[in-house]
Amino acid sequence: MKYFLKRAGFMILTLFAACALTFFLMNVIPGGTAELIIKHTFVGLEESVTEEQINQVSSRYNLDDPLYLQFFMWVKEAVLRGDIGTSYVFKKPVLYLLTLRLPATVQLAGASMGLSVVAGVSLGIYSALRENRISDHVLRVITLFGVSMPGFWVALLLILVFSLKLKLVPVSGYGNLENLFLPAAALSLHSAAAIMRVTRTSMLETLGQEYIRFAKAKGLPVWKIMSRHALKNAMLPVITVIGFQMGSLLGGAVVIEKIFAWPGIGSLLVDSISARDLPMVQGCVLAIVTMFLLVHFLVDMLYTHLDPRIRYG
Amino acid sequence: MKNKSSPLLILLIILLTCAILVTSGCSSTKESEAKEAISGLEVTSGSEAASQPEGGSEADSEASTLVLGEMWEIDSVDTINGGAGTLICEKAAVTETLVGANEDFSLKPGLATSWEQLDENTWEFRLRDNVVFHDGSRMTAEEVKFTLEKVIEANSKVASMLKVDTIEAVDNYTLKIKTTEINPILPGILHYPDTAIISPSSFDAAGEFVKPVGTGPYKFESFDERTRVLTVVKNENWWGGEVGLDRMVLRGIPDPNTRAMAIENGEVDFTVDVPYSETDRIDAIDGINVEKYRTPRVYKLDINLKHEPLEDVRVRQAMSYAIDRYGIVEHVLYNVGEAAAGPFLPTMVWANQSLSPYTRDLEKADELLTAAGWVDTDGDGIRDRDGKTLKLNLMTYSARPGLPPMAEAMAAQLKEAGIDVETEVMEMGSIDDRREKGNWDLYLAAYNIAMVPDPEYILTNWYITDGPDNGPGYSNPEVDALIKEARQITDLGERYKKFNDVEAIVYEEQPMIIVAYYGCAIVKKDYVKGYVFDPTAHDYRINAEMYLEK
Repeated sequence: MKYFLKRAGFMILTLFAACALTFFLMNVIPGGTAELIIKHTFVGLEESVTEEQINQVSSRYNLDDPLYLQFFMWVKEAVLRGDIGTSYVFKKPVLYLLTLRLPATVQLAGASMGLSVVAGVSLGIYSALRENRISDHVLRVITLFGVSMPGFWVALLLILVFSLKLKLVPVSGYGNLENLFLPAAALSLHSAAAIMRVTRTSMLETLGQEYIRFAKAKGLPVWKIMSRHALKNAMLPVITVIGFQMGSLLGGAVVIEKIFAWPGIGSLLVDSISARDLPMVQGCVLAIVTMFLLVHFLVDMLYTHLDPRIRYG
Repeated sequence: MKNKSSPLLILLIILLTCAILVTSGCSSTKESEAKEAISGLEVTSGSEAASQPEGGSEADSEASTLVLGEMWEIDSVDTINGGAGTLICEKAAVTETLVGANEDFSLKPGLATSWEQLDENTWEFRLRDNVVFHDGSRMTAEEVKFTLEKVIEANSKVASMLKVDTIEAVDNYTLKIKTTEINPILPGILHYPDTAIISPSSFDAAGEFVKPVGTGPYKFESFDERTRVLTVVKNENWWGGEVGLDRMVLRGIPDPNTRAMAIENGEVDFTVDVPYSETDRIDAIDGINVEKYRTPRVYKLDINLKHEPLEDVRVRQAMSYAIDRYGIVEHVLYNVGEAAAGPFLPTMVWANQSLSPYTRDLEKADELLTAAGWVDTDGDGIRDRDGKTLKLNLMTYSARPGLPPMAEAMAAQLKEAGIDVETEVMEMGSIDDRREKGNWDLYLAAYNIAMVPDPEYILTNWYITDGPDNGPGYSNPEVDALIKEARQITDLGERYKKFNDVEAIVYEEQPMIIVAYYGCAIVKKDYVKGYVFDPTAHDYRINAEMYLEK
């Protein structure tokens, strides 16, 4: 219990730090906030903005206040009323916009994570068991491709094969299980490959241990050795990698969302940054950091399950 | 004894169930919504208030439902606050403007049948008396006044262009607009889609925008805020006559490659701007047809006249001669566009027809640069003068796909003339920052030239000494005087003559190099009939005559 409280405290602190950092960094990058908001909402990217318009928007959103005061007001509203602001561009509450976009992101990230874990772990184990045979080499070459190919290219390739040639799934869109297949596959390829490589190495290391050899000598069947003895010990580094992959999934989602017209928060975040839509950026960062922290919390909990020697407190 | 195999199983089960729950949980509802949006059986909407369910048998709606792959993400349908004016007016054909425009950009009646200038600052518009909003109410001067006032309040750009003092509904079908100063382009501004007329029932009791209730050939049916699919249906009572399609489904597909593959795969019937390099290949596919048009937008290169080598007109002319406009159009834009002379399309009624694009002439460029004192003394291929090399930076952005490759091509061509150009593709905020600080030489951008169908708007913005879009810092008293004189002239012929003179001067002085006219590739299935390209639209305009012949 004490550990949980401490952990929750750290999470809140991390969230606060992330928000503060985002807020101040957003104000350091070049380009006037008011000017870009106007360009993205009304006048068009290439058109000029008048001094009068800038003043209007600045006073409407209190952009002339000192930075620390702006940030303080934001935190105050967020903590006291749970109101994380209204988007400058969409003119709607950030929370509402997040509830529209978050399900799509969670769906995509969840499905990709599931795919990567299942494919990565099982192929990793298979590869380790078939060490130095043809299938192991083939799989290793494939993973090498997986880690080195850029996501957008994989995405286009997948569309070409599965949509245009095989006519199995639609090219883009959102709302359908079949819509999810390609973006999730494109997004998970990199993670799956990374997880598989770690699983294979870790598995090989474990299989070389004394107690496995003893189990073999005892005459235990392979599946029993694997499930009872090897897997559990081999999984620790794998779990760590899975946790980190979550971050790259959220980052990689930006490109994938654009290609598949997937209405998640990745593309929303990028658009909001270029429009200097500060409350929206803050909201997206808050959501992404929260997800990331939760996954890591889950990972830490799994550690204690896998290795009883690890104890938090 | 402990159960030894459980932890891994637990991990896998947790992750798998999470993934499955998340995907299936969300998709079961989404699936039906999306299917409904496409087939039109029943419509659900993200915001309840915005839905307006309507029946229709599956067979007939499938036969005449056009699925449109729009080039930007559809985030909003709010024509007043949400920046959706162009989408709702030109692409969804839900709203209409008071003033229309012909192919040559001359004005024609829209919801207003005629207009006249009563005195310097007063305009009177006669409205059509047979126009009914989609909510069944009649469009009168009161509603027009309501819309214009709403737009002026929310949209500072439109407000600054209209310069309205008061708007008065004289009678049911007469509207009087007083401006704060003489404003001959007022009717032209009322062609701008953001000024399209909507019914007050577009707002709820609290004054919040709910849905666009317009007068156009199509009625707003639903906008799903989650899937971001916009659906419109035929307006049986359109004042303009028959409407060709029963229904239109608009889906935003921002990636050009995805748009290309979506139409190849038969998911959309109509889309625009697939990658330029792909247009010929896609056109060759059976059943798909690609048409290339010019749109009212130009690629132009701003030149920072405050930087020493560039203040010399000979250097600018030399650069213009060094750039191969025709080559760029053919090999970079794949003929989606056209080589340009002045800022206006030659088809525009006010364009100076006597100008023709600078053709590439490296000898002439060499003469001009040598005369300006820039010669290659050390034989490294780059010209220099007084120990300084002719080195420039060129910034551009990637939001329009033609820009970065165009910048590269231009840099290579300028290098052949002995000018070393370094290109930088940047984010808009950084570009603004650099421009403000004066820390730039060349800036390649794509500008809209007919937001208002009149030359005054662009010429004032670009070339007058304190013009808001005069990035180069160009100042020519003769140009200033000509534009100011022309602004006061209401006779169109006289007006255009003065503006032609301005065009001729800036053609000579090249404070900005106009490279090419922007193009638009319309990609549609062969069974989409009746489409007529409207060169006055921002990207494309859906016309009421379109129908499907399946």
